[in-house]
Amino acid sequence: MDPILKIDCVTKRFGGLMALAEVEYEVRRGEILGLIGPNGAGKTTMFNCIAGIYEPTSGQVVFSPEPGKNIVTNGFKSEKVTKLGIARTFQNIRLFNDLTVLDNVRLGCHCRTSSNFFGAVLRFAAQQREEQKIIDSSMHWLEFVGLGKNALSDASSLSYGNQRRLEIARALATEPKLIMLDEPAAGMNPQETQMLIKLIRAIVAEGITVVLIEHDMKLVMTICERLVVLDHGILIAEGSPKSIRENPMVIEAYLGRGAA
Amino acid sequence: MQRKLFFVFLIAALAYPLMPLSSDYVLHVMTLIMVYMVLAMGLNIVPGFCGLLDLGYVGFFGIGAYTSGLLTVHYGMSFWLIVPLAAANGAMWGVLLGAPTLRLTGDYFAIVTFGFSELVVLFLTNEIWLTRGPLGLPGIEPVSLDLSFLNPDWFWYFDGEPPYFYLAIFLVAAVYFLLKRVEDSRLGRAWFAIREDPMAAASCGVNILNYKVIAFAISAAIGAVGGSFYARWYLFLSPDMFKFWESFLVLCMVVLGGLGNLRGALFGAVIMVSMGEVLREILPALGLPPEVRFLVYGLLMVLIMRFKPAGFFPAIASSGKTNPMLVALEKRICETHGGASGSDS
Amino acid sequence: MLDQLLPQLVNGLTLGVIYAMIAVGYTMVYGVIELINFAHGEIYMFGAFFCVMFISVFGVPFYLAIVLSMSCCAIMGILLDIVAYRPLRNAPRLAALITAIGMSIFLQNLAMVIWGSRPLPFVQDAVPAYLNETAFSMGEVYLTWLQVFIFAVTIAMMFGLFFIITYTKIGTAMRALAQNKTAAALMGINVNFVISFTFALGSAFGAMAGILVSVYYNTLYPTMGYMAGVKAFAAAVLGGIGSVPGAMLGGLVLGVAEALGAGYVSSLYRDGVAYAVMIAVILFKPSGLLGKSVVDKA
Repeated sequence: MDPILKIDCVTKRFGGLMALAEVEYEVRRGEILGLIGPNGAGKTTMFNCIAGIYEPTSGQVVFSPEPGKNIVTNGFKSEKVTKLGIARTFQNIRLFNDLTVLDNVRLGCHCRTSSNFFGAVLRFAAQQREEQKIIDSSMHWLEFVGLGKNALSDASSLSYGNQRRLEIARALATEPKLIMLDEPAAGMNPQETQMLIKLIRAIVAEGITVVLIEHDMKLVMTICERLVVLDHGILIAEGSPKSIRENPMVIEAYLGRGAA
Repeated sequence: MQRKLFFVFLIAALAYPLMPLSSDYVLHVMTLIMVYMVLAMGLNIVPGFCGLLDLGYVGFFGIGAYTSGLLTVHYGMSFWLIVPLAAANGAMWGVLLGAPTLRLTGDYFAIVTFGFSELVVLFLTNEIWLTRGPLGLPGIEPVSLDLSFLNPDWFWYFDGEPPYFYLAIFLVAAVYFLLKRVEDSRLGRAWFAIREDPMAAASCGVNILNYKVIAFAISAAIGAVGGSFYARWYLFLSPDMFKFWESFLVLCMVVLGGLGNLRGALFGAVIMVSMGEVLREILPALGLPPEVRFLVYGLLMVLIMRFKPAGFFPAIASSGKTNPMLVALEKRICETHGGASGSDS
Repeated sequence: MLDQLLPQLVNGLTLGVIYAMIAVGYTMVYGVIELINFAHGEIYMFGAFFCVMFISVFGVPFYLAIVLSMSCCAIMGILLDIVAYRPLRNAPRLAALITAIGMSIFLQNLAMVIWGSRPLPFVQDAVPAYLNETAFSMGEVYLTWLQVFIFAVTIAMMFGLFFIITYTKIGTAMRALAQNKTAAALMGINVNFVISFTFALGSAFGAMAGILVSVYYNTLYPTMGYMAGVKAFAAAVLGGIGSVPGAMLGGLVLGVAEALGAGYVSSLYRDGVAYAVMIAVILFKPSGLLGKSVVDKA
């Protein structure tokens, strides 16, 4: 039972505000884990601590891309974390709006490729091959999320739901071992949510572990194998969807005292 | 249509010096415009692709010019050897200045670059043993092209404006071609990403600081190349040719054309330099001293920022729509999905 | 060597309080609208020129001319904001910065067109004669009444500014605006009015500095604002941009550093001291001596 990610007693303080307080849990290899909790619980802060945007005030984030290889990622910059194999999407979609759909995904391929200034200018055969590989790889992921035919359109011309898929395609292009999706279903209608469920299952089938922040409870209960619940920075419950649904502390956190 | 127009214009420009009524003055101005085109393309990289404001670009221009001038005067070095050396020197200073400062926010970075270029001018003015200070550096050898090892007659001495005119065209074309290639590459895409959204770029694995330093170094190298040409063309250098005003002028050209837009930078250079020359002629006729043109420049910048802050060509240049790989891709998409590549709007 | 120290120190402090006066204008404006007002140096310069104009063209006595120039510059500062900066309040930073530089160049050249680019002497006959007499002396060191006047005026104005910022309603509004513009507006503060007031105040200080310098060195010229502006800006950065006490402290430190540097190290790189200080502060302690440390928001 070798977890791909271990959150070991992580605390994050911003001045006087305690955003995360000694949170401890594991992410198992190949699972779909849901990170839920009311607004302001610290879920995105958790993602940011893992992704390298924040450094934990104390505690450790331990990433294990392969069994037996443990890396403490505290203080690593975003770009380094991505290179190690953790990808993420953003709560408020952060696409490169002035670029094409294809270019957005080609940027995802950045960390797995290497040509530099001289390659760009002199266009060696190796650089040209790499560029073709980047296009092929990007198209693969675009087809994977269902955006193949939009490849050459501007990213800003996509519908909201498709923009979310594009962001996922871009994250997948970084060839992650673990992908963190921050509210991927936000703003989606029921059909789109169904397609998202299929997409997430396909991602896991590729061997990628998925951690999901979501408010759409139907999605969460359908697709997640395990749930971790945060409230005001504290981990209040952990377990199967069924057990979480019936957990009085969780119900109280979402609906207030007296609703349990 | 636009391409045809461009070629007609290009042929006209190339043939101009050979025409009977061509004037040295016009050639001089056109060459000057082209020097500024090179500088504008170089400066364009930093605010255009990295979103940072470089207020000290003239510092690199000056470093390149004096490198070129001094190597020529003391060692009689060939121009063709000086250019890569000046570029390397510029790039080195770009890295030295950029590495510690590119992590700063916009305002602070602007101030530091400004301070740097002023220190360069101070150095050039005070280190008389090296640069002759305010007396300037006269008597720089013009460019010469020595292919006499192939054929004893093939030695050309760049005398007068026309050879420099053609050399300048070549320089502008080379820099343009180089940067166009960079735009349509992994490096160029990374730069666009940094400009658009650094956090998202980092999440794609782009090492923000490294790429900013690379951009700054390339920008500096191009400035230095422009300077090295200038020294061997103008044949005289003095520190007060490299004051802050020049940095501002080039910045105006870049902003006028639209940040990040290569063609816009060329346009900006043409407009600003020709406007300067026109004003220099008109103002005395209106009874005003020619210095008033600086007043006009200042006012113009204020007005443009007020009414057209994105410049005249605001769109980020679409990277490589003509790239053969993408053309082939478009065809494939059409075949697979039927009909034109769709947008959802 | 050391006998030079005291005179250089006095020199440096005189320079320093003047830098402080100008720096305070930069820092107040940056505090409320996060803009480096490049044209501030030109207002300093116009202060000197207005004063000379009032004295020589309108025959106004010395002290009254000072007050009138300061008022004119205050108005000039307000106009500068309304005409050039206010329309760009929500524009990208680059646009505002370029506008500021553009205005600076415009004003500099406007002065050149009006008064010519050659340095002019100050109207010495208008200056009360006692100002040029020695007030105190101690061996090699002597202070003229003019220097005493400079110190007295600047210190008085600094205290006045401190009082305004700390104890008056509008001063509190300025501080609120500097911390959080939206919240300040929501609290009913008339943002535009406070910003205009800040410009007026800063410009008045700048004008006074310009007048004092032109009397002290007996010269004024259209490009005097450039160098002084850069140095004062370096002082503001040194003290922590946005902090008024910081600007005062930064001005003094820079003035002394420059005088001692020019006296003991190299007078050629005198101006370089300001640039070097600016770069060093930004690289190693961007929040300056008294500024708040910049928290990294992700």
